[in-house]
Amino acid sequence: MDSVVCLDNGACSIKIGYITDEKPKVIPNCIMKAKSEKRRPFIGNQIEECRDISGIFYILSFTKGYITNWEVQKNVYDYIFSTEFPVNFSDTKLIITEPLFNFPIIQEAMVEIFFEEYDCCAMAKTTAPDLCYYQYTNTQDLDEPPLCCVVIDVGYSFSHIVPFVKGKKVLSAIRRIDVGGKLLTNHLKEIISYRYLNVMDESYVINQMKEDGCFISQDFNSDMANAKLKYPENKIAREYVLPDCTTIRRGYLQPPGTAKKTDDYQMLRLNNERFAVPELLFHPLDIGIDQMGLAEATIHAINACPEETRPHLFANIIVVGGSAKFSGMQTRLYKDIRSMAPEFFTVNVTVPEEPQTYSWYGGQYLANDPNFEQSLITRQDYEENGARGVLFDE
Amino acid sequence: MSMRESGRIKDAEKKRVLDDVTRKRRARKALEALEQDNFQQDPHADLVMSKKIPKFNNSLDNNPRRKGRKTRGADYYRIKYRKTFQQLLEEDRQANPNGPNYITAQSPPTSYPQRHFCAVCGFPSSYTCTSCGTRFCCLKCQGTHQDTRCLKFVS
Ligand SMILES: [Zn+2]
Ligand SMILES: [Zn+2]
Repeated sequence: MDSVVCLDNGACSIKIGYITDEKPKVIPNCIMKAKSEKRRPFIGNQIEECRDISGIFYILSFTKGYITNWEVQKNVYDYIFSTEFPVNFSDTKLIITEPLFNFPIIQEAMVEIFFEEYDCCAMAKTTAPDLCYYQYTNTQDLDEPPLCCVVIDVGYSFSHIVPFVKGKKVLSAIRRIDVGGKLLTNHLKEIISYRYLNVMDESYVINQMKEDGCFISQDFNSDMANAKLKYPENKIAREYVLPDCTTIRRGYLQPPGTAKKTDDYQMLRLNNERFAVPELLFHPLDIGIDQMGLAEATIHAINACPEETRPHLFANIIVVGGSAKFSGMQTRLYKDIRSMAPEFFTVNVTVPEEPQTYSWYGGQYLANDPNFEQSLITRQDYEENGARGVLFDE
Repeated sequence: MSMRESGRIKDAEKKRVLDDVTRKRRARKALEALEQDNFQQDPHADLVMSKKIPKFNNSLDNNPRRKGRKTRGADYYRIKYRKTFQQLLEEDRQANPNGPNYITAQSPPTSYPQRHFCAVCGFPSSYTCTSCGTRFCCLKCQGTHQDTRCLKFVS
C-alpha cells in the first residue's frame, strides 16, 4: 500500500503522522511573538526555544473554528512540511480533517493549496469526529463492532455532539455548544485579572494554569460550599506558582500555605475558579450563553435520532478533544447523562487516555476502508475539474 | 459602614441607572471579549513575517515534476480567500437556508434555570446592583464592584 499521512487540522494544534506511526506529532497551529524577542516569530513548537514566555502574542488561522486566515495557515504548513515533519506529498496520500459544516470556500482553498503548493497526489477530506468513529468502532473489545456511537468533541473553538448511525453522521442531530478551550482560558484570565493580578496578556501561561489547576466538579453546590471554608477544611484551594523566565518553565500547583516569605516566586491562590471555569461546558448559561451544556445537548442530539438507534447511542458515548482532558470529565458526564436518560437504557461514557490525539488514530482504519480509494480527490480529478469542480460537481 | 462606603453615597454617579439596551450591549461585549486571541497589541507589528519563515518551496525545487510550475505564495491565498466569519455565515445561510448547517446545529436554549454568581468573588449571589444589573454576594463585594467596574467603561 502507498504511504498515507493523516493530518488532524485543529484550530489549536495540528496532529500529524504516517498512519503506520506509533503516535502523531502534536504541533501548535499558530504563529507566536514574544515581547522579549523582536527579531523573529515562533511558529508551531518553535515556541519551546523561547526563553521568556510572558506576554506571548498569538496569530491564529482560525476564527470561531473555521480557517479564515490562509496566509497564517500556509506559513504554519510551510514550516511543518519543511522542518517539523518533512513529507513528499507527490507519492504520499493525505487524509486531512476539516470542521463540521465547513464552508464551501474554505474547502476549495484547502484543496487548491495542497495540489498547487504541496504537490499533493491524492487527498481525502474528513472530520475529526469521523476519524474518532473509525477508531472507536474498530477498537472495542466486542464480538461485533458497535453500529452506532456518539462522539462528543470538546475542542478549542467549540464543542460538538455528533451521533453516528451505521458509519454515517446524523447531520440533523449534530449539536454545537459555543464553549471550548479558548473561551475557558479567556474566562479564567478575566476572573484572575479582576480578583488577584492582571494577567490579561498572559494567555500562554493561563492556558497552562487551566490545564494544571482546573477540574470538573462532581457536585457543584457542595464544592462551592467547601470553597467558602478556610484551609484545611477547604479541599479546593491551592497555590499556583507562576513561571518566571529563569528557573520555573511551567507553573505548578501546591497546597495552601506552602509559599514562604523567603520564596521569590510569584504565586496566585486558586479557589472556586478551579471548577467554576470548566463548569461552563455543562452550564454555558453561567456566563450568559443560553445553550444546553454537554450532557443536556447529548440527550437532545440522541433524541433527534431514529428511536431504534437510541439504546445503541446511549451505550457508546466517546469523549475526545483537548478540553476532554480535565479530570472528572468521565464521571461527571456519566452521572449527568445517566440521570437524564431513560432508565432502561445502558449508558456508557468513555474518555480515552489521550483525548487530544484519539481521532488521529482513526486515520489508519479510514485508509483501510474499502471505500477509501473512491473517496480520494486525485491530481487528475483536480487538474480536469479544478477545486470547485471536484468538491461540488458543478 | 466604612468611610469608603459613605463617601460613595454622595457620588453623583450612584444615581445613574443603565437601561436595558446598554446592559445587553455590555453583556454581548463581555462575551465577544472571550473570543479574542489577544488582549494586548502586537508587540512587534513591523516584523516582516514571510522573510523569517522557512519556505516549503525550497525542498520542492529539486522535484523534476515541479519544473516550470510556479507556486502562488501565501499572499495569493490571503487575497483570493479573504472572507470574514460573518461573510461566510451569511453566504451559507443564503445557499443552504434549511440546513443542516452551522446555524441549525447550534445547541438550543437550556431548560435549566440561570444560576447567579458574584462578579467579584465567584460565589453564588443573591443580590443585583441596581445601577447596572451585575450580581454580587455581600457588602464587601458590592463595594469592590462599585469602585471598579459598575459604571466604568460604559460606552
Ligand atoms: Zn462576592
Ligand atoms: Zn453596578
